[in-house]
Amino acid sequence: MTEESLLGRLYEDGETIVEEGMQSRTMYVIQGGKVKVVKNDNGNETVLALLGEGDIFGEMSLFDASPRSATIKAVGEARVLAIEHEGLMKRIKMDPTLALRMIKQMCQRIRDLNARLIVTKKAMHQASEGLLQLQRTEGVPRKDLEPKILAMVAQLQENLHTLTEQYVPRDESLP
Amino acid sequence: MSSSFTIHVLHSHPKACCLHNVISTRRGARVILHDGARIAIIGGGPAGSLFCIFASQLARDMGMALDFTIYERKSFASYGASGCNMCAGVVSESLVQLLALEGINLPPAVVQWGIESYFFHTEGGSVEIKSSRLRQRGIATVFRGGGPAGSLAKGIQSFDDFLLQRAVEHGACVKRTFIDRVCMEGDKPRLYSGGKMLQDCDLLVGAFGIKAGTGKMFEDLSAGYKVPPTTKAVQSEIELGSDWVERRFGHSIHIFLLRIPGIKFVSVIPKGDYITVSVLGKYPKSDHITAFLDHSAMKKFLPSGFQIPQKFCHCFPKISVGAAIKPFARRAAFVGDASSTRLYKDGIGSAYITAKAAAHTALLHGIGEKDFREYYFPACKSLNRDNLFGQHLFFVNKLISVVSPVSRGYFHIVQSEQKNLQKNTPYSDVLWDMFTGSRFYKDIFFRTLHPWFILYLLGAVVLYPIKKAFLFFANRWKGVVL
Ligand SMILES: Cc1cc2nc3c(=O)[nH]c(=O)nc-3n(C[C@H](O)[C@H](O)[C@H](O)COP(=O)(O)OP(=O)(O)OC[C@H]3O[C@@H](n4cnc5c(N)ncnc54)[C@H](O)[C@@H]3O)c2cc1C
Repeated sequence: MTEESLLGRLYEDGETIVEEGMQSRTMYVIQGGKVKVVKNDNGNETVLALLGEGDIFGEMSLFDASPRSATIKAVGEARVLAIEHEGLMKRIKMDPTLALRMIKQMCQRIRDLNARLIVTKKAMHQASEGLLQLQRTEGVPRKDLEPKILAMVAQLQENLHTLTEQYVPRDESLP
Repeated sequence: MSSSFTIHVLHSHPKACCLHNVISTRRGARVILHDGARIAIIGGGPAGSLFCIFASQLARDMGMALDFTIYERKSFASYGASGCNMCAGVVSESLVQLLALEGINLPPAVVQWGIESYFFHTEGGSVEIKSSRLRQRGIATVFRGGGPAGSLAKGIQSFDDFLLQRAVEHGACVKRTFIDRVCMEGDKPRLYSGGKMLQDCDLLVGAFGIKAGTGKMFEDLSAGYKVPPTTKAVQSEIELGSDWVERRFGHSIHIFLLRIPGIKFVSVIPKGDYITVSVLGKYPKSDHITAFLDHSAMKKFLPSGFQIPQKFCHCFPKISVGAAIKPFARRAAFVGDASSTRLYKDGIGSAYITAKAAAHTALLHGIGEKDFREYYFPACKSLNRDNLFGQHLFFVNKLISVVSPVSRGYFHIVQSEQKNLQKNTPYSDVLWDMFTGSRFYKDIFFRTLHPWFILYLLGAVVLYPIKKAFLFFANRWKGVVL
């Protein structure tokens, strides 16, 4: 694979392609390499998805004109083709089936999000049940309760971590 | 009821009668594609493959399975003209994007060079134009066949072969056969090759382009189809080595608007170790290639002492300059070059548009003449209408290039626009969109009619010579003082 024959723009490892909160309606298709979708929460970076060759991103702002909902960064070197918004909207008006693949990908994401939501709900439920049970146990000194609470928090964190781990690679197989 | 109608490439069949009659006897009955319907596609160029891809995708979405056979006489893996659909091989900015959106990403073995800008070379100087919208290598250059004749080039994958393989993945069966006769057997088209009956089909797709004489065979059907008018072009592939190509041509397509007798303009397209030289003129000859390579404006792009090889890969392909008449019939649709194409640009992009429109019509509406007229033909007509605007634009472009002060004024504006791409660049955008095919001609045409566009250009025409004279005298004055 020679660099000369690659289309789009080359992004270095860690380089930001799309910045959360920014206003832009350009959409992207990955030509080579990988990118990650991350959400920043008070300096904590949560990886929402890992996308690979052929995947589309940035399509939400194309349709709803809202600021970017997440940041997208290159993982290793990545070649990404930008799709110009104005030209695409004109084409979609003439041929609405062009949006089909984007809609299919969005459907897949909604399915994945639903699945994650259910797993998260279960984990939260288990944790709150556990805490309630602890509250109900009488006569146990506070210092004896602490390790139990800590173990429960660790378990919750573990659950949430596997949730991200479990679903990030799944996005790689998006159509 | 069985009526027989035959057409030949070389001679008419004695039983030949008018397809129109066959059709009219069956008017009224709605014809649609049923599950398992057989579709025969003549021609495995971009139009044929794309028709198959879109039709099979939609069929799957609709829960149907169709049977596709693509008849293609060429093997695109072969070197030289025998494996090549002879074109400059530029996959336009809009088509690269559309294909990517369709999930058809061009792999590096297909893309010979990624293009990010256009250079325009005139007798008066050169200017580079970049897209003001996107900073990227958004245009691809490809070989349509396995590579230039006599080349030892390795790792080249033909663009047409790549698309054909995608069609195969969508379930097409490809047969390396030349279709030389089609006839109506009852209500259905029947295909022959070398006197052998091959198959009957529910739908026949004519994606045979304009380079072979196949279109004539359908004209003889008297169903009203007429092939598009064409003119000739001359093209050649010159081997320079990828280092040289990178250094001298960069990632740009070079358009030469020089005053060489018989030549309208020349495009030089970098492709790895090669450049493709594509000449448009009235009666193009291989001498035009030699004259161009000898021109001082081109010489500086070639290695010193460069000798034109005795034998070099070149061809004289036909290029469409109009539209086919009635590109459809009952159970038949013509797509790609055999139908309508955009004037002087993005022929493959037009194949995409017509192939998709025909595929969707066949599946969503039906395969009767009325269905194609109502749902497919508008896509062709919109390309044809747009070409009228294109003709005006090319005419104005020619006028501008003949009237030196205006062309100098335009050139000057574009040069200054390119120095600051953060600002609006309307004059550069017009050239970019005209030559890259990123926008429809109509769109560009109305932009050029804006009063500001005309006024500013006229202003530049008047001001540019004054500015030049002022600078000239200022420099002389400086010289005198010093
Ligand atoms: C000089 C020149 C430069 C060009 N440059 C560009 C460019 O840079 N970019 C661009 O987008 N377009 C360009 N074009 C236009 C482009 O080549 C065409 O628009 C495009 O190839 C049309 O695709 P198609 O599939 O309709 O036809 P074609 O590509 O011509 O394919 C038709 C296929 O049908 C096969 N066939 C024909 N008859 C039969 C038969 N009877 N049986 C079996 N097989 C048959 C042929 O072998 C061929 O493979 C250029 C054209 C020319 C002439």
